[in-house]
Amino acid sequence: MSSDSSGTTAAPAHQGDVLVVTDVVRRFGDLVAVDGVSFRIAPGETYGLLGPNGAGKTTTISMVAGLLPADAGTITLLGRAVGPRHTDVKRHVGLVPQDLAIYPELSARENLVFFGRLQGMWGRALTARVDEVLEIVGLADRAKDATKEYSGGMKRRLNIGIGLLHQPTLLILDEPTVGVDPQSRNAILESVEALSHEGMAVLYTTHYMEEAERLCDRIAIIDSGRVQAEGTRDELIRLTGELDRIRLTGGGDVPEAAAAVRALDAVASADADRHSVLLAVRDAPTAVAGVVTAATAAGMTLDDVEITRPNLESVFLQLTGKALRD
Amino acid sequence: MRQLLVMTASDLRQHVRDKSVIIFAVLVPLALMYVFNLTFGSMESIELEPIDVAVSVPEGDELAGALVDTLAGLDAVQVRTTQTDEESARAMVRDGDAALAVVVQEGFSQGLAPGQGAVVDVVEGETAGIEAQVVETVVQAFLDRVNAGTRAATAGVLTSAGPVDPAAVAQAAVHSAPAFTTTEGEASTEQLSFSGSLVAGQAGLFLLFTVGFGVLGLLTEREQGTLARLRSMPMRPGLIVAAKALTAYVLGVVATGVLLTVGSLFFDVSFGSPLAVAVLVLCVVAAGVSLVFVVARIARTAEQAQIAQSILAMVLGMSAGAFFPMVASGLLGRILDLNPIAAFMHGLGITRGGGGIADLGEPIAIMLGFAVLATLASRLVPDRGAAA
Repeated sequence: MSSDSSGTTAAPAHQGDVLVVTDVVRRFGDLVAVDGVSFRIAPGETYGLLGPNGAGKTTTISMVAGLLPADAGTITLLGRAVGPRHTDVKRHVGLVPQDLAIYPELSARENLVFFGRLQGMWGRALTARVDEVLEIVGLADRAKDATKEYSGGMKRRLNIGIGLLHQPTLLILDEPTVGVDPQSRNAILESVEALSHEGMAVLYTTHYMEEAERLCDRIAIIDSGRVQAEGTRDELIRLTGELDRIRLTGGGDVPEAAAAVRALDAVASADADRHSVLLAVRDAPTAVAGVVTAATAAGMTLDDVEITRPNLESVFLQLTGKALRD
Repeated sequence: MRQLLVMTASDLRQHVRDKSVIIFAVLVPLALMYVFNLTFGSMESIELEPIDVAVSVPEGDELAGALVDTLAGLDAVQVRTTQTDEESARAMVRDGDAALAVVVQEGFSQGLAPGQGAVVDVVEGETAGIEAQVVETVVQAFLDRVNAGTRAATAGVLTSAGPVDPAAVAQAAVHSAPAFTTTEGEASTEQLSFSGSLVAGQAGLFLLFTVGFGVLGLLTEREQGTLARLRSMPMRPGLIVAAKALTAYVLGVVATGVLLTVGSLFFDVSFGSPLAVAVLVLCVVAAGVSLVFVVARIARTAEQAQIAQSILAMVLGMSAGAFFPMVASGLLGRILDLNPIAAFMHGLGITRGGGGIADLGEPIAIMLGFAVLATLASRLVPDRGAAA
């Protein structure tokens, strides 16, 4: 891995990368929607574009999906150029647009068969794959119903099913959980995790921090058309310089416990009051065992241990000066 | 090619399920044809009923006899004459046994000698209708010719051309060939009947709505998000537009064919050679599809497109005479002639008059020329919907 000046890790330059996006620019009139974006995705990797509405996420994936040409820069998928006129390479891309890209008058099966045929799938292979996808997205029992009768969550699941029907090398999901109930959202996230485990590369855009943290191996924080930072979740959080917090609550000799944990290497600071000690630590999950041991050894009886870690929201706030959902 | 057919078949299947296209492309125009035909159809052809006419003519008066013969020999209306005396003739009218009485007084022919005008009494009964008016007109025309003859004879005497018998001249005038004749000219054979115009005009007008279902599907796909997904498929982007055009074309041909066929059967209209009519349909649908493509480029949303399409359809349909015949001359007339719906109706007029494909050069040229120009325009105007 190579490190840039900000301390985050850029994707490793690897011949096996599924997608390589290099210095891509896209303008709409005077507006520069995407301004020099670069990233790469390895096989089986889930890569997140995290940013608020209007940050340039959808324009970026539109170029990656070959819907829009880039004004500058290059995009290659499996080493082949991507663009509106490069039709063959599109066979390796599965696009799940933010809008529900399904036909309301057709059933789920008919939608899948239609798009399958456009992907060049025919006959028994198509039928078998359609059955498989209907099972994956949990719509097998409603496969013959017109999709206009479906709930929002069912439509979202079908929307994803169409994207993965032809088993693409790269699956692009553009805000796939917008407007979805919690149960369907969880089902969608589980599907994406399963696909990633099967080796599919996933490009996932969202403005939901929790989704990015849960799904993405690496994340690019994008704002105003630029990648502000890129890396794993932990790498991005380290950018803020913020430490994890551990709060010990209980009785006994609280001041003595505070003094004991303050001496630990992982602990940067420890402030005590009558019933609790608040610690600033590096890597709380690793440090918590030592902290608890030291505190109890110093005579504190613990009622509760609470860990708080900085999240991507705070990273975004620090990098852009605004909240993620502004 | 396979992908083109897949998209077209799917579009057609959805249109059939949606039923809007069936309602607006077939049922609504047929209903309008029915209503218009019911309202205005009676203006086109009036069926004249036979009429009973009581006739009283002096015995042995040749000129009066010629009048009776003229009435009995009318083609436009069947006149059933009953010869009787004056009193009985008037009584028949009073009693409703005859709609009209024509009474020629004694000395009718002899009265012409001094150059006096010929006079005939016509008595109208309460049951007299338009048929009676026709008979009265014929009697008046007969008398006009008699009077013209006697005046000419009198003038001959006055100018010392020698003694002339006015009655003989009048008889000669009555029995001479008509002063003018009418023959059916090209213009009239190329004109559609009222019902024919209605069927053809409504088919042409609603064609623009019908093809809109296909072409404007592009905007619907854009709004519902499926256009982006289609464009991400491994195929040339032009195929999507081609599929919409093919869908629109199929819808247009089928709907126009159904309207002309059903309209012909319902309203007893014949458009002539089916092959020539089919060629006209193919051409006018091409013009309609290309026009709606211009609308699809200019409109930002499907709603805007539908409004623009409705305006265009009404303007082109009405100016072609889809509702009422339009008469224009000069520059305006030439402009209206370039209307593809008008060309379509003109073509149907030619086929109805017995013309074949070889006679359809002008209307076909107008429709195909329109299609080419509109297609070029649709390529040149900015796609405002994509920019939105």
